[in-house]
Amino acid sequence: MKSILIIDDEAHILQLYKEVFRREGCQVSIAPDIESALAQLEKEPCDLVILDIELDEDNGLNFLKYLKSARPNMPVILNSAYSIYKSDFHSWAADAYIVKTSDLEPLKLKVKELLDVDSKYPQKPAAK
Amino acid sequence: MNIATLSPREIEIVSIKNQFDNVPIGCMVVTLEGAICYINREAARLLGYDGPADLENASVRDIEAILNCGFYEARNVIMTGETYRKTEHKCTNCRGQFKVLNIFCNPFRDADGKIIGILSLLQDVSESTLKKQDLEEAIYELSIMSQVSEALSSSAELDEIFKVVLTGVTSSQGLGFNRAFLFLIDNNNENLVGQLAVGPTSPEEAGRIWTQLESKRMTLREMLDAGHYNSGNGDSALTSLIKGWKIPLSDQNIFGTAVLTGQAMLTLRSESLGAQSRSILARLGVENIALAPIISKGRRLGLIVADNQITGREISPSLVELLQAFACQTAVAIERSRLYDSQVERAEELARINRQLAESQEQIIRVEKMSVIGELTSSIAHELRNPLTVIGGFANLLLTTGASDANNEYLNIILSETKRAESVLHQVLDFSKASRAENRAIGFHQLVHNCCNIVAARLKRGQPQPALVGDNPGLTVWGNPDQLQHAIVQFLNMIIDGSTENNAINLDISANDSTVFLTVSVTFEKNDRKRLTRMLEQGFNNPSGTQRLSILVAGETIRYHGGNFGLESSEDGLPKIRVELPLYKGSEE
Repeated sequence: MKSILIIDDEAHILQLYKEVFRREGCQVSIAPDIESALAQLEKEPCDLVILDIELDEDNGLNFLKYLKSARPNMPVILNSAYSIYKSDFHSWAADAYIVKTSDLEPLKLKVKELLDVDSKYPQKPAAK
Repeated sequence: MNIATLSPREIEIVSIKNQFDNVPIGCMVVTLEGAICYINREAARLLGYDGPADLENASVRDIEAILNCGFYEARNVIMTGETYRKTEHKCTNCRGQFKVLNIFCNPFRDADGKIIGILSLLQDVSESTLKKQDLEEAIYELSIMSQVSEALSSSAELDEIFKVVLTGVTSSQGLGFNRAFLFLIDNNNENLVGQLAVGPTSPEEAGRIWTQLESKRMTLREMLDAGHYNSGNGDSALTSLIKGWKIPLSDQNIFGTAVLTGQAMLTLRSESLGAQSRSILARLGVENIALAPIISKGRRLGLIVADNQITGREISPSLVELLQAFACQTAVAIERSRLYDSQVERAEELARINRQLAESQEQIIRVEKMSVIGELTSSIAHELRNPLTVIGGFANLLLTTGASDANNEYLNIILSETKRAESVLHQVLDFSKASRAENRAIGFHQLVHNCCNIVAARLKRGQPQPALVGDNPGLTVWGNPDQLQHAIVQFLNMIIDGSTENNAINLDISANDSTVFLTVSVTFEKNDRKRLTRMLEQGFNNPSGTQRLSILVAGETIRYHGGNFGLESSEDGLPKIRVELPLYKGSEE
């Protein structure tokens, strides 16, 4: 089972995504801020991160930078209500940029696509 | 003399004789019949005689012939017992001397008080009167010169200055020349060009006008207004002689030489001059002429020319010096007038710039407001996106969990309305994204060209690319380029959405002094007109759904940029979309 970490400061978004991806067969962790996300990752690495950009007190793009240096092989999808960050070159490090919409199909498809490409993103080592 | 044998009148006369023989006042006694009984030395002198002896047998008629002072009228007054007075009476005595006399006549009575003759006293006031006249004349001359000076220092109109100068030069109370001409150097500094002349063209005209001028003392203003030498068309005949006449500014002629050397000149003998100079003098019909260059701070401006063609009076060097003084004053006046004109021009330019600035400021404020609205809508729209995602997302989730049919219907409604709300958000965010661009001068043609490129992807398969007519790269508008582009794209999208592949879209750009116009028209087939007309009219007057917001935002954008938009009728019966924006007068940044 692939594991996903969802980072968003909106509790209902977290709840929605958790349920949607659980139904998609993923193991889902959620974090309302960067600090919690770091703690989650420390506790258990994941296969993919869905990251909001405008977090309460944090900036998702800074965290993206950290993730891509600390875990370069872990895919990250930026998921924001704003589309303007597409033109911010900091966002280009992400594997995908999906603007939030009630139609979750594009997000689901992108998650599936990124998790299924094993050659590009090798499976994490099995937990000992 | 035995006084006892004298008659009472003789006794009176003896008494007067004793009193008046040696006084500096003329005195004479005449009988009522007109015989001169007594005349003293001073009275005889005033009448032009050597002494009283020359008038021994003279009668009052002889004296009246000289004095012409109205003795017969005096007699009638005297007989009533009154005194007869005549002051400052001007006459010429028998020696041809001009005299001014105060004449007092009193009744000459006998011892009984009966009037038996006239006692006349003659006071010579010739010298004081002439001095007074000279003084008045000098005051008048000074007054005219002062008025000339004042007019030159206060007038800003070149034509007025020229008239004042030449009137001063020709007025008998001014320099007294017969004729005066004014020439100015042209812009190329190559020629002296005739501007104005004052003076008569013939002795007859001179006689007529100068007699009129002599008869009354006119102020300078009255002389200028009278325009004695003017013909029907306003210019004098003399002005017509020289107006537009170009004389080369070279040392080959006296006019050019006077200006180039900066020296006032007086020509005395035309035969000693070169051919060019002789030709000039021949045209003016004169041999002796005074020339005074008009020079200000070393800058040559023109020349004043004056002559005495009518009277032939000699022109003295001192008069030429005075003419040069006039020319100096003229130079200052011309410089001041030109300075004034340039100041007026600059003031008008400043006023124009101020107006433009005020308009630009107003427009900037409008556009800035639009920018703030854009920022605000952006924040609101993003805040709405999360809840819409949650609502729609959960609705989707519920649909996939297999809800009852009734609930499925409601969930679909929720989903449909959420999508509609998201579509509105999309429009708003497009607009607010556009609001983030900086305001600047925008090349309007390029802006419309960009819009055509943006909407190209939306065209129906086979539909021609929008055709842009009117290549005016110089036309600029001020504002937010992204907002304006967004607005125009909304109009084009509306047309594209309502058109088929057979409808070509034409965009025409034109402008007047203050406004840029964009007209968007659609080519159509006959059976298409009704549908397209309905589409356009509904789009502008009663848009539906998300189109309403698009047109509303586009329209507000145009209006915030100081423009306007709407449908205009056309000859082919299908309305055209017309967008107007204020033309920006500055340069494109």
